Amino acid sequence: MHNLLRAYRGLFRANVAIAFTYRAQAVIWMLSFVFPLVMLAVWLAVVDQAGPVGGYNRGDFISYYLVGAVLYRFVLMGLTYHWDHEIRTGELSVRLLKPLDPFHYYLSEQLGWKVLDLLILVPLALVAALLIPGVHYALSPARLLAFVFSVVLGMTINVCISSAFGMIAFWTTQSRNLFELWSGIGQFLSGFIAPLPLFPLFMQRVAAVLPFRNSVGLPVDILMGRVGWAATGQGLLVGALWALGACMIYRVLWRLGLRRYEAVGA
Amino acid sequence: MAISVQQLTKSYRVHHKEAGLRSSLRNLFARRYELVEAVKQVSFEVAQGEIVGFLGPNGAGKTTTLKCLAGLLHPNAGSAEVLGFTPHNRERAFLKQITLVMGQRNQLLWDLPAMETFLVNQAIYGVPEREFRATLQELVALLGLEPLLTKQVRKLSLGERMKCELAASLLHRPRVLFLDEPTLGLDVTAQAAIRDFLRAYNQQYAVTVLLTSHYMADVTALAKRVLVIDHGELKYDGDLHALVEQTAPYKLLRLTLQQPVDSADLTRLGEIESLNGLEVTLRVPRDATKLVMAQVLASLPVEDVMIEEPPIEQIIRDVFQHGASYA
Repeated sequence: MHNLLRAYRGLFRANVAIAFTYRAQAVIWMLSFVFPLVMLAVWLAVVDQAGPVGGYNRGDFISYYLVGAVLYRFVLMGLTYHWDHEIRTGELSVRLLKPLDPFHYYLSEQLGWKVLDLLILVPLALVAALLIPGVHYALSPARLLAFVFSVVLGMTINVCISSAFGMIAFWTTQSRNLFELWSGIGQFLSGFIAPLPLFPLFMQRVAAVLPFRNSVGLPVDILMGRVGWAATGQGLLVGALWALGACMIYRVLWRLGLRRYEAVGA
Repeated sequence: MAISVQQLTKSYRVHHKEAGLRSSLRNLFARRYELVEAVKQVSFEVAQGEIVGFLGPNGAGKTTTLKCLAGLLHPNAGSAEVLGFTPHNRERAFLKQITLVMGQRNQLLWDLPAMETFLVNQAIYGVPEREFRATLQELVALLGLEPLLTKQVRKLSLGERMKCELAASLLHRPRVLFLDEPTLGLDVTAQAAIRDFLRAYNQQYAVTVLLTSHYMADVTALAKRVLVIDHGELKYDGDLHALVEQTAPYKLLRLTLQQPVDSADLTRLGEIESLNGLEVTLRVPRDATKLVMAQVLASLPVEDVMIEEPPIEQIIRDVFQHGASYA
Protein backbone atom coordinates (compact mmCIF):
# COMPACT_ATOMS: atom_id res chain seq x y z
CA MET A 1 0.00 0.00 0.00
CA HIS A 2 2.83 2.36 0.89
CA ASN A 3 4.53 1.51 -2.40
CA LEU A 4 1.34 2.19 -4.31
CA LEU A 5 0.86 5.59 -2.69
CA ARG A 6 4.42 6.55 -3.54
CA ALA A 7 3.95 5.45 -7.12
CA TYR A 8 0.72 7.43 -7.39
CA ARG A 9 2.36 10.56 -6.09
CA GLY A 10 5.03 10.30 -8.78
CA LEU A 11 2.64 9.43 -11.60
CA PHE A 12 0.15 12.03 -10.56
CA ARG A 13 2.72 14.79 -10.55
CA ALA A 14 3.83 13.89 -14.08
CA ASN A 15 0.28 13.54 -15.39
CA VAL A 16 -0.85 16.90 -14.06
CA ALA A 17 2.28 18.36 -15.69
CA ILE A 18 1.28 16.74 -18.99
CA ALA A 19 -2.29 18.03 -18.72
CA PHE A 20 -0.90 21.52 -18.18
CA THR A 21 1.55 21.14 -21.08
CA TYR A 22 -1.37 20.69 -23.44
CA ARG A 23 -2.93 24.03 -22.63
CA ALA A 24 -4.81 24.37 -25.91
CA GLN A 25 -6.18 20.86 -25.64
CA ALA A 26 -7.22 21.57 -22.07
CA VAL A 27 -9.21 24.59 -23.18
CA ILE A 28 -10.94 22.70 -25.98
CA TRP A 29 -11.66 19.87 -23.60
CA MET A 30 -13.16 22.29 -21.11
CA LEU A 31 -15.52 23.46 -23.81
CA SER A 32 -17.20 20.07 -23.77
CA PHE A 33 -18.61 21.40 -20.51
CA VAL A 34 -20.95 23.25 -22.84
CA PHE A 35 -22.80 20.16 -24.16
CA PRO A 36 -24.92 19.60 -21.05
CA LEU A 37 -25.64 23.33 -21.03
CA VAL A 38 -27.12 22.97 -24.52
CA MET A 39 -29.50 20.39 -23.08
CA LEU A 40 -30.32 22.88 -20.34
CA ALA A 41 -31.12 25.59 -22.89
CA VAL A 42 -33.53 23.20 -24.65
CA TRP A 43 -35.35 22.41 -21.42
CA LEU A 44 -35.54 26.05 -20.38
CA ALA A 45 -37.15 26.89 -23.71
CA VAL A 46 -39.72 24.16 -23.08
CA VAL A 47 -40.46 25.39 -19.53
CA ASP A 48 -40.81 28.98 -20.74
CA GLN A 49 -43.49 27.93 -23.24
CA ALA A 50 -45.31 25.11 -21.48
CA GLY A 51 -44.65 25.64 -17.76
CA PRO A 52 -43.00 23.08 -15.43
CA VAL A 53 -42.30 19.65 -16.97
CA GLY A 54 -42.82 16.58 -14.80
CA GLY A 55 -42.35 18.63 -11.63
CA TYR A 56 -39.19 20.42 -12.88
CA ASN A 57 -39.44 24.20 -13.07
CA ARG A 58 -36.83 26.65 -14.36
CA GLY A 59 -34.75 26.66 -11.17
CA ASP A 60 -34.89 22.87 -10.94
CA PHE A 61 -33.51 22.42 -14.45
CA ILE A 62 -30.71 24.92 -13.86
CA SER A 63 -29.81 23.27 -10.55
CA TYR A 64 -29.89 19.84 -12.21
CA TYR A 65 -27.67 20.69 -15.17
CA LEU A 66 -25.22 22.85 -13.26
CA VAL A 67 -24.16 19.82 -11.22
CA GLY A 68 -24.86 17.42 -14.10
CA ALA A 69 -22.46 19.28 -16.40
CA VAL A 70 -19.60 18.98 -13.91
CA LEU A 71 -20.37 15.33 -13.19
CA TYR A 72 -20.59 14.56 -16.89
CA ARG A 73 -16.91 15.55 -17.15
CA PHE A 74 -15.81 14.35 -13.78
CA VAL A 75 -17.37 10.92 -13.32
CA LEU A 76 -16.93 9.45 -16.80
CA MET A 77 -13.77 7.38 -17.22
CA GLY A 78 -12.35 6.27 -20.54
CA LEU A 79 -9.73 3.68 -19.58
CA THR A 80 -10.85 1.59 -22.56
CA TYR A 81 -8.93 3.93 -24.88
CA HIS A 82 -5.68 3.46 -22.97
CA TRP A 83 -6.01 -0.30 -22.79
CA ASP A 84 -7.08 -0.65 -26.40
CA HIS A 85 -4.26 1.48 -27.75
CA GLU A 86 -1.52 -0.04 -25.67
CA ILE A 87 -2.57 -3.66 -26.18
CA ARG A 88 -2.98 -3.33 -29.95
CA THR A 89 0.28 -1.46 -30.51
CA GLY A 90 2.31 -3.46 -28.01
CA GLU A 91 3.03 -0.34 -25.94
CA LEU A 92 1.71 -2.36 -23.03
CA SER A 93 5.10 -4.14 -23.00
CA VAL A 94 6.79 -1.07 -21.54
CA ARG A 95 4.27 -1.04 -18.66
CA LEU A 96 4.45 -4.78 -18.05
CA LEU A 97 8.16 -4.47 -17.32
CA LYS A 98 7.46 -2.19 -14.37
CA PRO A 99 6.62 -3.40 -10.87
CA LEU A 100 3.27 -1.58 -11.07
CA ASP A 101 0.05 -2.77 -12.68
CA PRO A 102 -0.52 -0.87 -15.97
CA PHE A 103 -3.98 -0.03 -14.65
CA HIS A 104 -2.45 2.54 -12.31
CA TYR A 105 -0.75 4.40 -15.15
CA TYR A 106 -4.02 4.87 -16.98
CA LEU A 107 -6.05 5.69 -13.90
CA SER A 108 -3.52 8.26 -12.73
CA GLU A 109 -3.51 9.83 -16.19
CA GLN A 110 -7.29 10.15 -16.12
CA LEU A 111 -7.16 11.54 -12.59
CA GLY A 112 -4.55 14.08 -13.72
CA TRP A 113 -7.17 15.55 -16.05
CA LYS A 114 -9.77 15.46 -13.30
CA VAL A 115 -7.56 17.84 -11.32
CA LEU A 116 -8.27 20.41 -14.02
CA ASP A 117 -11.98 19.81 -13.40
CA LEU A 118 -11.62 20.38 -9.73
CA LEU A 119 -9.55 23.52 -10.19
CA ILE A 120 -11.63 25.16 -12.90
CA LEU A 121 -15.08 23.66 -13.39
CA VAL A 122 -16.04 23.26 -9.76
CA PRO A 123 -15.33 26.91 -8.77
CA LEU A 124 -17.11 28.00 -11.95
CA ALA A 125 -20.19 25.95 -11.04
CA LEU A 126 -20.09 27.25 -7.46
CA VAL A 127 -20.06 30.87 -8.58
CA ALA A 128 -22.90 30.18 -11.01
CA ALA A 129 -24.92 28.47 -8.27
CA LEU A 130 -24.58 31.55 -6.06
CA LEU A 131 -25.37 34.09 -8.76
CA ILE A 132 -28.22 32.47 -10.67
CA PRO A 133 -31.61 32.95 -8.99
CA GLY A 134 -33.71 29.86 -8.31
CA VAL A 135 -30.77 27.45 -7.91
CA HIS A 136 -31.31 25.30 -4.85
CA TYR A 137 -29.82 22.16 -3.29
CA ALA A 138 -30.62 20.17 -0.14
CA LEU A 139 -27.34 20.85 1.60
CA SER A 140 -27.48 18.81 4.81
CA PRO A 141 -24.20 17.21 5.97
CA ALA A 142 -25.71 13.75 5.45
CA ARG A 143 -26.77 14.55 1.90
CA LEU A 144 -23.39 16.10 1.07
CA LEU A 145 -21.68 13.00 2.39
CA ALA A 146 -23.99 10.74 0.38
CA PHE A 147 -23.35 12.91 -2.68
CA VAL A 148 -19.56 12.64 -2.38
CA PHE A 149 -19.86 8.91 -1.80
CA SER A 150 -22.10 8.48 -4.84
CA VAL A 151 -19.65 10.46 -7.02
CA VAL A 152 -16.71 8.31 -5.91
CA LEU A 153 -18.80 5.19 -6.50
CA GLY A 154 -19.81 6.49 -9.93
CA MET A 155 -16.15 6.97 -10.85
CA THR A 156 -15.29 3.51 -9.54
CA ILE A 157 -18.04 1.92 -11.62
CA ASN A 158 -16.80 3.67 -14.74
CA VAL A 159 -13.17 2.73 -14.04
CA CYS A 160 -14.11 -0.95 -13.70
CA ILE A 161 -16.47 -1.08 -16.66
CA SER A 162 -14.16 0.84 -19.02
CA SER A 163 -11.30 -1.47 -18.02
CA ALA A 164 -13.43 -4.55 -18.62
CA PHE A 165 -14.20 -3.22 -22.12
CA GLY A 166 -10.50 -2.50 -22.59
CA MET A 167 -9.66 -6.17 -22.04
CA ILE A 168 -11.60 -7.05 -25.19
CA ALA A 169 -8.60 -5.62 -27.09
CA PHE A 170 -6.71 -8.84 -26.32
CA TRP A 171 -9.16 -10.65 -28.61
CA THR A 172 -10.46 -8.16 -31.17
CA THR A 173 -9.76 -4.66 -32.42
CA GLN A 174 -13.33 -3.56 -31.70
CA SER A 175 -13.10 -2.80 -27.99
CA ARG A 176 -13.30 0.97 -28.54
CA ASN A 177 -16.39 0.69 -30.70
CA LEU A 178 -18.13 -1.59 -28.24
CA PHE A 179 -17.33 0.83 -25.44
CA GLU A 180 -18.66 3.74 -27.46
CA LEU A 181 -21.88 1.87 -28.12
CA TRP A 182 -22.18 1.24 -24.39
CA SER A 183 -21.46 4.92 -23.64
CA GLY A 184 -24.07 5.97 -26.19
CA ILE A 185 -26.72 4.03 -24.32
CA GLY A 186 -25.37 5.69 -21.20
CA GLN A 187 -26.07 9.17 -22.57
CA PHE A 188 -29.78 8.41 -22.33
CA LEU A 189 -29.93 6.27 -19.24
CA SER A 190 -27.54 8.31 -17.09
CA GLY A 191 -29.89 11.28 -16.89
CA PHE A 192 -27.66 13.43 -19.07
CA ILE A 193 -30.15 14.00 -21.94
CA ALA A 194 -32.99 14.53 -19.49
CA PRO A 195 -33.61 13.93 -15.79
CA LEU A 196 -34.70 10.29 -15.48
CA PRO A 197 -38.10 11.05 -13.84
CA LEU A 198 -39.13 12.59 -17.17
CA PHE A 199 -38.68 9.27 -18.98
CA PRO A 200 -41.50 6.74 -19.54
CA LEU A 201 -41.92 4.46 -16.53
CA PHE A 202 -40.49 1.32 -18.19
CA MET A 203 -37.30 3.19 -19.12
CA GLN A 204 -36.98 4.40 -15.55
CA ARG A 205 -37.24 0.79 -14.40
CA VAL A 206 -34.53 -0.27 -16.85
CA ALA A 207 -32.32 2.64 -15.79
CA ALA A 208 -32.74 1.68 -12.14
CA VAL A 209 -30.96 -1.65 -12.64
CA LEU A 210 -28.22 -0.36 -14.95
CA PRO A 211 -25.05 1.42 -13.79
CA PHE A 212 -25.41 4.59 -15.94
CA ARG A 213 -27.62 6.42 -13.46
CA ASN A 214 -24.77 6.38 -10.94
CA SER A 215 -22.78 8.73 -13.20
CA VAL A 216 -25.16 11.69 -13.29
CA GLY A 217 -28.79 11.16 -12.28
CA LEU A 218 -28.37 9.63 -8.85
CA PRO A 219 -25.71 12.02 -7.47
CA VAL A 220 -27.66 15.06 -8.70
CA ASP A 221 -30.91 13.75 -7.25
CA ILE A 222 -29.18 13.15 -3.92
CA LEU A 223 -27.86 16.71 -3.87
CA MET A 224 -31.22 18.17 -4.84
CA GLY A 225 -33.06 16.10 -2.26
CA ARG A 226 -35.21 14.40 -4.91
CA VAL A 227 -34.57 10.85 -3.69
CA GLY A 228 -35.38 9.44 -0.25
CA TRP A 229 -32.80 7.53 1.79
CA ALA A 230 -34.21 4.11 0.89
CA ALA A 231 -34.03 4.87 -2.84
CA THR A 232 -30.57 6.35 -2.37
CA GLY A 233 -29.36 3.21 -0.64
CA GLN A 234 -30.89 1.05 -3.34
CA GLY A 235 -29.26 3.10 -6.11
CA LEU A 236 -25.85 2.93 -4.43
CA LEU A 237 -26.21 -0.82 -3.90
CA VAL A 238 -27.03 -1.42 -7.56
CA GLY A 239 -24.00 0.66 -8.51
CA ALA A 240 -21.72 -1.16 -6.07
CA LEU A 241 -22.81 -4.54 -7.48
CA TRP A 242 -22.02 -3.36 -11.01
CA ALA A 243 -18.60 -2.09 -9.90
CA LEU A 244 -17.86 -5.41 -8.24
CA GLY A 245 -19.08 -7.49 -11.19
CA ALA A 246 -17.21 -5.39 -13.76
CA CYS A 247 -14.06 -5.47 -11.66
CA MET A 248 -14.18 -9.26 -11.46
CA ILE A 249 -14.75 -9.62 -15.19
CA TYR A 250 -11.91 -7.19 -15.86
CA ARG A 251 -9.44 -9.08 -13.68
CA VAL A 252 -10.37 -12.50 -15.10
CA LEU A 253 -10.07 -11.22 -18.68
CA TRP A 254 -6.75 -9.58 -17.76
CA ARG A 255 -5.32 -12.93 -16.60
CA LEU A 256 -6.55 -14.70 -19.72
CA GLY A 257 -5.48 -11.85 -21.97
CA LEU A 258 -1.91 -11.79 -20.68
CA ARG A 259 -1.53 -15.45 -21.63
CA ARG A 260 -2.24 -14.60 -25.23
CA TYR A 261 -0.59 -11.17 -25.30
CA GLU A 262 1.90 -11.14 -28.14
CA ALA A 263 3.95 -8.05 -27.26
CA VAL A 264 3.92 -7.06 -30.92
CA GLY A 265 6.37 -4.62 -32.43
CA ALA A 266 10.00 -4.26 -31.54
CA MET B 1 23.00 -19.16 -12.59
CA ALA B 2 21.38 -15.82 -13.31
CA ILE B 3 19.42 -17.17 -16.26
CA SER B 4 18.42 -20.74 -16.92
CA VAL B 5 16.35 -21.71 -19.94
CA GLN B 6 15.17 -25.28 -20.54
CA GLN B 7 13.45 -26.43 -23.74
CA LEU B 8 11.77 -23.04 -24.11
CA THR B 9 9.12 -23.04 -26.84
CA LYS B 10 6.89 -20.18 -27.96
CA SER B 11 4.53 -20.14 -30.91
CA TYR B 12 2.25 -17.45 -32.29
CA ARG B 13 -1.01 -17.72 -34.13
CA VAL B 14 -0.67 -15.50 -37.17
CA HIS B 15 -3.76 -14.33 -38.94
CA HIS B 16 -3.41 -13.95 -42.71
CA LYS B 17 -5.37 -11.39 -44.63
CA GLU B 18 -4.98 -10.11 -48.15
CA ALA B 19 -5.47 -6.41 -48.85
CA GLY B 20 -8.84 -5.15 -50.05
CA LEU B 21 -12.46 -4.92 -49.06
CA ARG B 22 -13.51 -8.30 -50.36
CA SER B 23 -10.95 -10.10 -48.30
CA SER B 24 -11.98 -8.02 -45.27
CA LEU B 25 -15.52 -9.29 -45.66
CA ARG B 26 -14.39 -12.85 -46.16
CA ASN B 27 -12.25 -12.51 -43.08
CA LEU B 28 -15.27 -11.67 -40.98
CA PHE B 29 -16.50 -15.21 -41.44
CA ALA B 30 -13.53 -17.40 -42.10
CA ARG B 31 -10.09 -16.53 -40.88
CA ARG B 32 -6.93 -18.26 -41.95
CA TYR B 33 -4.53 -18.83 -39.12
CA GLU B 34 -1.07 -20.21 -39.20
CA LEU B 35 0.90 -21.39 -36.23
CA VAL B 36 4.40 -19.97 -36.26
CA GLU B 37 6.95 -21.50 -33.93
CA ALA B 38 9.11 -18.53 -33.02
CA VAL B 39 11.27 -20.38 -30.50
CA LYS B 40 11.76 -24.15 -30.54
CA GLN B 41 13.09 -26.00 -27.51
CA VAL B 42 15.86 -23.58 -26.75
CA SER B 43 18.07 -24.30 -23.72
CA PHE B 44 20.95 -22.29 -22.30
CA GLU B 45 22.31 -20.86 -19.07
CA VAL B 46 23.95 -17.57 -18.27
CA ALA B 47 26.05 -16.92 -15.17
CA GLN B 48 25.83 -13.75 -13.07
CA GLY B 49 28.03 -11.02 -14.54
CA GLU B 50 28.30 -12.57 -17.99
CA ILE B 51 27.62 -10.65 -21.21
CA VAL B 52 26.10 -12.88 -23.88
CA GLY B 53 25.37 -11.78 -27.44
CA PHE B 54 22.37 -13.09 -29.29
CA LEU B 55 22.94 -13.45 -33.03
CA GLY B 56 20.46 -14.32 -35.73
CA PRO B 57 18.67 -12.85 -38.73
CA ASN B 58 15.37 -10.97 -38.41
CA GLY B 59 12.59 -13.23 -37.19
CA ALA B 60 15.01 -15.83 -35.84
CA GLY B 61 13.48 -15.74 -32.37
CA LYS B 62 15.94 -13.51 -30.51
CA THR B 63 13.41 -10.92 -29.40
CA THR B 64 10.79 -13.54 -28.58
CA THR B 65 13.29 -15.25 -26.28
CA LEU B 66 14.11 -11.95 -24.56
CA LYS B 67 10.41 -11.19 -24.14
CA CYS B 68 9.85 -14.59 -22.53
CA LEU B 69 12.76 -13.95 -20.16
CA ALA B 70 11.47 -10.49 -19.24
CA GLY B 71 8.03 -11.90 -18.45
CA LEU B 72 6.15 -10.28 -21.33
CA LEU B 73 5.27 -13.56 -23.01
CA HIS B 74 4.01 -16.83 -21.58
CA PRO B 75 5.98 -19.71 -23.08
CA ASN B 76 3.98 -22.58 -24.62
CA ALA B 77 6.35 -25.21 -23.29
CA GLY B 78 9.60 -25.54 -21.44
CA SER B 79 10.73 -23.26 -18.67
CA ALA B 80 12.70 -20.13 -18.03
CA GLU B 81 14.15 -18.98 -14.75
CA VAL B 82 15.72 -15.59 -14.12
CA LEU B 83 17.31 -14.91 -10.72
CA GLY B 84 15.26 -17.81 -9.40
CA PHE B 85 11.94 -16.36 -10.58
CA THR B 86 9.56 -17.58 -13.26
CA PRO B 87 9.42 -14.47 -15.46
CA HIS B 88 5.79 -14.56 -16.62
CA ASN B 89 4.51 -14.54 -13.04
CA ARG B 90 5.84 -10.96 -13.03
CA GLU B 91 6.42 -10.79 -9.30
CA ARG B 92 7.34 -7.37 -7.99
CA ALA B 93 10.66 -8.61 -6.57
CA PHE B 94 11.53 -10.00 -10.02
CA LEU B 95 10.57 -6.90 -12.00
CA LYS B 96 12.60 -4.73 -9.63
CA GLN B 97 15.77 -6.63 -10.54
CA ILE B 98 15.54 -6.72 -14.32
CA THR B 99 15.20 -4.38 -17.22
CA LEU B 100 14.49 -4.79 -20.90
CA VAL B 101 15.62 -2.02 -23.21
CA MET B 102 13.94 -2.12 -26.58
CA GLY B 103 15.51 0.02 -29.29
CA GLN B 104 12.12 0.51 -30.88
CA ARG B 105 10.12 1.21 -27.75
CA ASN B 106 9.99 4.30 -25.69
CA GLN B 107 9.21 4.56 -22.01
CA LEU B 108 10.04 8.25 -21.70
CA LEU B 109 7.16 10.67 -21.17
CA TRP B 110 7.01 12.31 -24.57
CA ASP B 111 5.90 15.80 -23.60
CA LEU B 112 8.06 16.31 -20.53
CA PRO B 113 11.81 16.49 -19.91
CA ALA B 114 13.47 13.10 -19.30
CA MET B 115 14.01 14.03 -15.66
CA GLU B 116 10.25 13.64 -15.10
CA THR B 117 10.39 10.03 -16.32
CA PHE B 118 13.30 9.40 -13.98
CA LEU B 119 11.28 10.71 -11.04
CA VAL B 120 8.26 8.60 -12.02
CA ASN B 121 10.49 5.52 -12.19
CA GLN B 122 11.97 6.38 -8.81
CA ALA B 123 8.44 6.43 -7.38
CA ILE B 124 7.38 3.22 -9.13
CA TYR B 125 10.45 1.24 -8.16
CA GLY B 126 10.50 2.77 -4.68
CA VAL B 127 14.14 3.88 -4.92
CA PRO B 128 15.20 5.79 -1.76
CA GLU B 129 16.11 9.42 -2.42
CA ARG B 130 19.83 9.16 -1.62
CA GLU B 131 20.34 6.05 -3.69
CA PHE B 132 18.40 7.64 -6.55
CA ARG B 133 20.51 10.81 -6.53
CA ALA B 134 23.75 8.81 -6.44
CA THR B 135 22.72 6.51 -9.29
CA LEU B 136 21.41 9.39 -11.35
CA GLN B 137 24.60 11.37 -10.87
CA GLU B 138 26.64 8.42 -12.01
CA LEU B 139 24.49 7.71 -15.08
CA VAL B 140 24.48 11.38 -16.02
CA ALA B 141 28.29 11.38 -15.92
CA LEU B 142 28.73 8.06 -17.76
CA LEU B 143 26.24 8.89 -20.51
CA GLY B 144 26.82 12.64 -20.71
CA LEU B 145 23.19 13.46 -19.97
CA GLU B 146 23.67 16.79 -18.21
CA PRO B 147 22.48 19.06 -21.07
CA LEU B 148 19.58 16.72 -21.93
CA LEU B 149 17.81 16.48 -18.60
CA THR B 150 15.68 19.58 -18.93
CA LYS B 151 14.83 19.25 -22.64
CA GLN B 152 11.43 17.95 -23.69
CA VAL B 153 11.86 14.34 -24.77
CA ARG B 154 10.26 14.92 -28.15
CA LYS B 155 12.92 17.53 -28.92
CA LEU B 156 15.78 15.05 -28.35
CA SER B 157 17.63 13.34 -31.19
CA LEU B 158 17.37 9.57 -31.51
CA GLY B 159 20.80 9.05 -29.94
CA GLU B 160 20.06 11.41 -27.07
CA ARG B 161 16.76 9.71 -26.46
CA MET B 162 18.38 6.28 -26.37
CA LYS B 163 20.84 7.48 -23.74
CA CYS B 164 17.97 8.79 -21.61
CA GLU B 165 16.11 5.55 -22.24
CA LEU B 166 19.09 3.57 -20.92
CA ALA B 167 19.35 5.79 -17.85
CA ALA B 168 15.62 5.40 -17.16
CA SER B 169 16.03 1.63 -17.42
CA LEU B 170 18.95 1.48 -15.00
CA LEU B 171 17.88 3.83 -12.21
CA HIS B 172 16.58 0.94 -10.12
CA ARG B 173 19.94 -0.83 -10.49
CA PRO B 174 18.73 -4.03 -12.15
CA ARG B 175 20.95 -7.11 -11.86
CA VAL B 176 19.91 -8.50 -15.24
CA LEU B 177 19.82 -6.40 -18.40
CA PHE B 178 18.02 -7.55 -21.52
CA LEU B 179 18.99 -5.31 -24.41
CA ASP B 180 17.11 -5.64 -27.67
CA GLU B 181 18.81 -3.63 -30.40
CA PRO B 182 19.95 -0.88 -28.02
CA THR B 183 21.89 0.94 -30.76
CA LEU B 184 19.30 0.66 -33.53
CA GLY B 185 19.36 3.65 -35.86
CA LEU B 186 22.15 5.42 -34.01
CA ASP B 187 25.18 6.95 -35.70
CA VAL B 188 28.62 5.43 -35.19
CA THR B 189 29.63 7.83 -32.42
CA ALA B 190 26.46 7.26 -30.43
CA GLN B 191 26.77 3.49 -30.94
CA ALA B 192 30.30 3.58 -29.57
CA ALA B 193 29.23 5.71 -26.60
CA ILE B 194 26.45 3.26 -25.65
CA ARG B 195 28.82 0.33 -26.09
CA ASP B 196 31.50 1.90 -23.88
CA PHE B 197 28.89 2.67 -21.28
CA LEU B 198 27.58 -0.90 -21.23
CA ARG B 199 31.06 -2.33 -20.92
CA ALA B 200 31.96 -0.03 -18.05
CA TYR B 201 28.63 -0.66 -16.33
CA ASN B 202 29.01 -4.42 -16.59
CA GLN B 203 32.55 -4.32 -15.21
CA GLN B 204 31.62 -2.10 -12.32
CA TYR B 205 28.49 -3.90 -11.13
CA ALA B 206 28.87 -7.44 -12.51
CA VAL B 207 25.40 -7.24 -14.01
CA THR B 208 24.27 -9.99 -16.35
CA VAL B 209 23.64 -8.81 -19.90
CA LEU B 210 21.83 -10.56 -22.72
CA LEU B 211 22.12 -8.50 -25.86
CA THR B 212 20.79 -8.65 -29.42
CA SER B 213 22.02 -6.37 -32.14
CA HIS B 214 22.16 -6.05 -35.88
CA TYR B 215 25.46 -4.31 -35.51
CA MET B 216 28.09 -6.98 -35.23
CA ALA B 217 30.43 -4.43 -33.68
CA ASP B 218 28.12 -4.26 -30.63
CA VAL B 219 28.42 -7.97 -30.12
CA THR B 220 32.13 -8.33 -30.81
CA ALA B 221 32.93 -5.37 -28.56
CA LEU B 222 30.89 -6.59 -25.61
CA ALA B 223 30.31 -10.32 -25.65
CA LYS B 224 32.83 -13.14 -25.46
CA ARG B 225 30.08 -15.69 -25.68
CA VAL B 226 27.40 -15.78 -28.33
CA LEU B 227 24.18 -17.66 -28.90
CA VAL B 228 23.33 -18.14 -32.55
CA ILE B 229 19.66 -18.70 -33.21
CA ASP B 230 17.96 -19.32 -36.54
CA HIS B 231 14.37 -20.26 -37.32
CA GLY B 232 13.75 -20.52 -33.61
CA GLU B 233 16.47 -23.09 -33.01
CA LEU B 234 19.68 -22.60 -31.09
CA LYS B 235 22.50 -23.36 -33.51
CA TYR B 236 25.53 -22.41 -31.51
CA ASP B 237 26.36 -21.57 -27.93
CA GLY B 238 29.93 -20.71 -27.09
CA ASP B 239 32.95 -18.57 -27.59
CA LEU B 240 32.74 -16.00 -30.36
CA HIS B 241 36.28 -16.69 -31.59
CA ALA B 242 35.73 -20.43 -31.61
CA LEU B 243 32.67 -19.82 -33.78
CA VAL B 244 34.80 -17.87 -36.20
CA GLU B 245 37.44 -20.58 -36.41
CA GLN B 246 34.89 -23.32 -36.72
CA THR B 247 32.71 -21.78 -39.39
CA ALA B 248 35.41 -19.95 -41.28
CA PRO B 249 38.30 -22.41 -41.47
CA TYR B 250 40.11 -20.03 -43.79
CA LYS B 251 41.88 -16.72 -43.76
CA LEU B 252 42.07 -14.07 -46.43
CA LEU B 253 45.29 -13.22 -48.28
CA ARG B 254 45.09 -9.79 -49.83
CA LEU B 255 47.69 -9.39 -52.57
CA THR B 256 48.73 -6.38 -54.56
CA LEU B 257 50.50 -7.56 -57.73
CA GLN B 258 53.12 -5.78 -59.78
CA GLN B 259 51.73 -7.16 -63.02
CA PRO B 260 48.73 -9.26 -64.06
CA VAL B 261 49.06 -13.03 -63.65
CA ASP B 262 47.16 -15.97 -65.06
CA SER B 263 44.19 -16.87 -62.84
CA ALA B 264 45.23 -20.53 -63.04
CA ASP B 265 48.37 -19.56 -61.11
CA LEU B 266 46.14 -18.08 -58.44
CA THR B 267 43.66 -20.95 -58.09
CA ARG B 268 46.63 -23.26 -57.52
CA LEU B 269 47.30 -21.34 -54.31
CA GLY B 270 43.77 -20.84 -53.01
CA GLU B 271 40.16 -20.03 -53.80
CA ILE B 272 39.76 -16.65 -55.49
CA GLU B 273 37.50 -14.49 -53.39
CA SER B 274 37.88 -11.42 -55.58
CA LEU B 275 40.01 -10.39 -58.53
CA ASN B 276 40.15 -6.77 -59.45
CA GLY B 277 43.02 -5.87 -61.77
CA LEU B 278 46.11 -6.09 -59.64
CA GLU B 279 44.19 -6.49 -56.38
CA VAL B 280 43.56 -10.14 -55.51
CA THR B 281 41.95 -11.73 -52.47
CA LEU B 282 42.50 -15.43 -51.88
CA ARG B 283 40.85 -17.77 -49.38
CA VAL B 284 43.37 -20.16 -47.93
CA PRO B 285 42.91 -22.87 -45.32
CA ARG B 286 43.64 -21.57 -41.86
CA ASP B 287 46.39 -24.10 -41.07
CA ALA B 288 48.07 -23.72 -44.47
CA THR B 289 48.33 -19.96 -44.34
CA LYS B 290 52.08 -19.78 -43.72
CA LEU B 291 52.86 -22.33 -46.39
CA VAL B 292 50.75 -20.58 -49.03
CA MET B 293 52.28 -17.27 -48.04
CA ALA B 294 55.76 -18.62 -48.78
CA GLN B 295 54.58 -19.97 -52.12
CA VAL B 296 52.99 -16.67 -53.04
CA LEU B 297 56.17 -14.78 -52.30
CA ALA B 298 58.24 -17.29 -54.25
CA SER B 299 56.04 -17.67 -57.34
CA LEU B 300 54.14 -14.38 -57.86
CA PRO B 301 55.28 -10.83 -58.59
CA VAL B 302 53.82 -9.30 -55.41
CA GLU B 303 54.06 -5.71 -54.31
CA ASP B 304 52.32 -6.24 -50.96
CA VAL B 305 50.65 -9.09 -48.96
CA MET B 306 48.30 -9.00 -45.99
CA ILE B 307 46.75 -11.82 -43.98
CA GLU B 308 43.26 -11.08 -42.59
CA GLU B 309 40.49 -12.76 -40.62
CA PRO B 310 37.29 -12.86 -42.63
CA PRO B 311 34.88 -10.15 -41.43
CA ILE B 312 32.52 -11.51 -38.80
CA GLU B 313 29.46 -10.21 -40.64
CA GLN B 314 30.41 -12.44 -43.53
CA ILE B 315 30.92 -15.45 -41.31
CA ILE B 316 27.52 -15.06 -39.76
CA ARG B 317 25.98 -14.59 -43.19
CA ASP B 318 27.63 -17.82 -44.33
CA VAL B 319 26.37 -19.56 -41.25
CA PHE B 320 22.77 -18.64 -41.93
CA GLN B 321 22.93 -19.16 -45.68
CA HIS B 322 24.37 -22.63 -45.51
CA GLY B 323 22.23 -23.57 -42.55
CA ALA B 324 24.84 -25.97 -41.32
CA SER B 325 24.78 -27.27 -37.76
CA TYR B 326 27.70 -26.32 -35.63
CA ALA B 327 26.59 -26.92 -32.10
